[in-house]
Amino acid sequence: MTVTSAPVRSTPRQAPQAAPRNMARLLWVELRHNAMPLVLPLIAVIFWFDSYRIAATLPPLWNTRLYYILGQGHALLDFAPFVAGVAAWMGSRDTRRGTGDLVTATVRPRWEAQLATWAATVIWAVGAYLVFVAVTLVLLGRPDVWGGLPWWSVAADGVGVAAFASAGFALGASFPGRFITPIAAFAGFFAMGISSQIGFSASGGWALILPTMSTGNFGQDAGIFYQFLPDLPMARVMFLAGIAVTAVGLLGLPVSAGGPRLRRSAAAVTVTGAAAVVAAVALAFTAQVGPYGTVIPALHDAASDRPVPYTPVCGNAGIPVCLQPAYRPYLSDVTTALRPVISQVTGLPGAPVRASQSAAIFATGAALKGLGQIPALGGSPPVLSLPLGAISLPDSFGQDSPSFISQLKVEFVHALVVSGGATYGNPAQQAVEAVLLQNAGIPLAAQPHAIPWPISSGPRQTATYPQPIAAAAQRLAAMPATTRRAWLAAHLPALRAGRLTLGQLP
Amino acid sequence: MNVELTELTRRFGRTQAVVGVTLKAGPGVFGLLGPNGAGKTSLLRMMATVLPPTSGTLRLLGRDPDGYGPRREIRRRLGYLPQNLGYYPGFTVTDFIEYFALLKDMPPGQVPRAVAAAIEQVGLGDKARAKMRTLSGGMLRRAGIAQAIVNEPELLLLDEPTAGLDPEQRVAFRSLLREFGQRATVIVSTHLVEDVAAACSEVTLMDAGRMVFHGTPGELIARGEGHGVGDAPLERGYSAVLAAARS
Repeated sequence: MTVTSAPVRSTPRQAPQAAPRNMARLLWVELRHNAMPLVLPLIAVIFWFDSYRIAATLPPLWNTRLYYILGQGHALLDFAPFVAGVAAWMGSRDTRRGTGDLVTATVRPRWEAQLATWAATVIWAVGAYLVFVAVTLVLLGRPDVWGGLPWWSVAADGVGVAAFASAGFALGASFPGRFITPIAAFAGFFAMGISSQIGFSASGGWALILPTMSTGNFGQDAGIFYQFLPDLPMARVMFLAGIAVTAVGLLGLPVSAGGPRLRRSAAAVTVTGAAAVVAAVALAFTAQVGPYGTVIPALHDAASDRPVPYTPVCGNAGIPVCLQPAYRPYLSDVTTALRPVISQVTGLPGAPVRASQSAAIFATGAALKGLGQIPALGGSPPVLSLPLGAISLPDSFGQDSPSFISQLKVEFVHALVVSGGATYGNPAQQAVEAVLLQNAGIPLAAQPHAIPWPISSGPRQTATYPQPIAAAAQRLAAMPATTRRAWLAAHLPALRAGRLTLGQLP
Repeated sequence: MNVELTELTRRFGRTQAVVGVTLKAGPGVFGLLGPNGAGKTSLLRMMATVLPPTSGTLRLLGRDPDGYGPRREIRRRLGYLPQNLGYYPGFTVTDFIEYFALLKDMPPGQVPRAVAAAIEQVGLGDKARAKMRTLSGGMLRRAGIAQAIVNEPELLLLDEPTAGLDPEQRVAFRSLLREFGQRATVIVSTHLVEDVAAACSEVTLMDAGRMVFHGTPGELIARGEGHGVGDAPLERGYSAVLAAARS
């Protein structure tokens, strides 16, 4: 019998019922041979240098320390270019290595084989991100860091890493070649750069969906006085997951990817991902940046609006001074700052009977008038509210304890003399401020001649007061303390209301 | 028939790689001979279901690979060694073969034993844990053969399988071919006529995309009687058929 005359041999082979186990084993092989671990040491160095190192120098408040890492998206920026590049490398593997025919001639559809490689790539990338963030939280959390953690922002950035990995993988699989890795890496970097630039300049609308957009993302006292609102991070998770899902779905659309049913599934996956992206952008358009974060009505849970309960810690500066316990390390500085001013104004009409920390809020709406951004007097009897979250605390961005104390003195005096706080004050008010500050330990020549608003977070610029103001201040300073106090007692309400001119000062 | 080709044609632009090939093959070792560019690789790629024909019909293992479901069933029973074996340098030999065993949808419980058996069959037992990048050309070829046979295929397509093998390995490989030919259709594309003489029960000779001879090795030898080109009888038959086809 020759070969050509032999009958067809019929060996029944049942399709294995253990497909999930088969895929799990395939994933395990891919995990052990993925290129992503090779680039993780480099990412770790950049992450340490760019994200952790700076955050570690900031005050021990989670929202402050994590603002730089998560709020401005530095963690994602550190990961995105490398993850996209390596994912493109993995996506182009079969073409680069010439295994296309071998893989195609197997039972598993091409898309399924690609999914195993993609999944291994994403697992490594996202796993590394989570480990880096966990280690960062442990290191930054020592010894005691106050406030809640923005878990939804952690999740959004994690999904962002998956999105960059998926987009890079799809790019590599679709356009395999030796240059696809650097191209994907550069595209990742470019995307993050554009996102950051838009984030710095835009204040709302669709741009809120961008992962590096810090506006409305991290309230200055989020996690301390009020909760981190999850609305925007949730929309970002939807947006970034949509990108990842779309990228994966696109891989399954070509005829070579698999059979009709599988390609229909891939089309459904693609459409679902694209719909998620569109829905997330639409949600961003409905977002309202409020005083405590960004509210997206469709995603908002009223439970998130409940303030964080706390028992204040108090000190004495001539009047009781009470702070949120997260700010306990600064209580001494605050009382030191308030005491020399309080001693000059105690008992005067409008002088505070106590000082209490208030939540710093976003610079929108009411905050445009200074409320929630600088100290203010209010209520009857008057209470000095101190939104310390809006003031650069010692150890943050060049601020030290003496400059923090000076700034508090300036802002307290300003709140006392200039009603409303957020205006510069007229010349008479500036002259009185100058005297009070001089007596509180800030020489005339070292005082800022005006209170800018929004309050600068950096070191205050000093300048010489205009001559008429300086002369009036010197006259007031030369008066006996009791005479000056008597004048203040009689004229402080009119002064605060801005009804006194420089010529009406004694 | 395990393989039934009818007027199979494949064009790449203006180039006709395979022209009207008609062929039938059952179990046994089937040699595909021809000079470079004869169309052997294109024909094997079509039989491996990775390259669709431009025209003609193709039935493999009693199924039409044009349909997705039948194509999957064919692939489940297929072993394929391409001419240019691609591989993943960082994989070990075991991982490489296991990877393709899993892609062939073999039940996971059977994979480790099947992988070990395939590695032993090609004589790479001592290199099972070696990275693919460390293997010599001949060893890579054997690893490629191992991935092709790991699923005990009913249709085994081997494109230049003995390229890079030393004489001892080639002898062992021919023995392996004969063993597989007992239970499967093995189609070996080669330009080494001694492989055909030693292992094949039937041979087809291609030239310029066309099938110019089909018969047993003995019939090919008979064609070369009185023909002076070639050292061995089969080589003379090979040369005689090609010369006749080109004249």
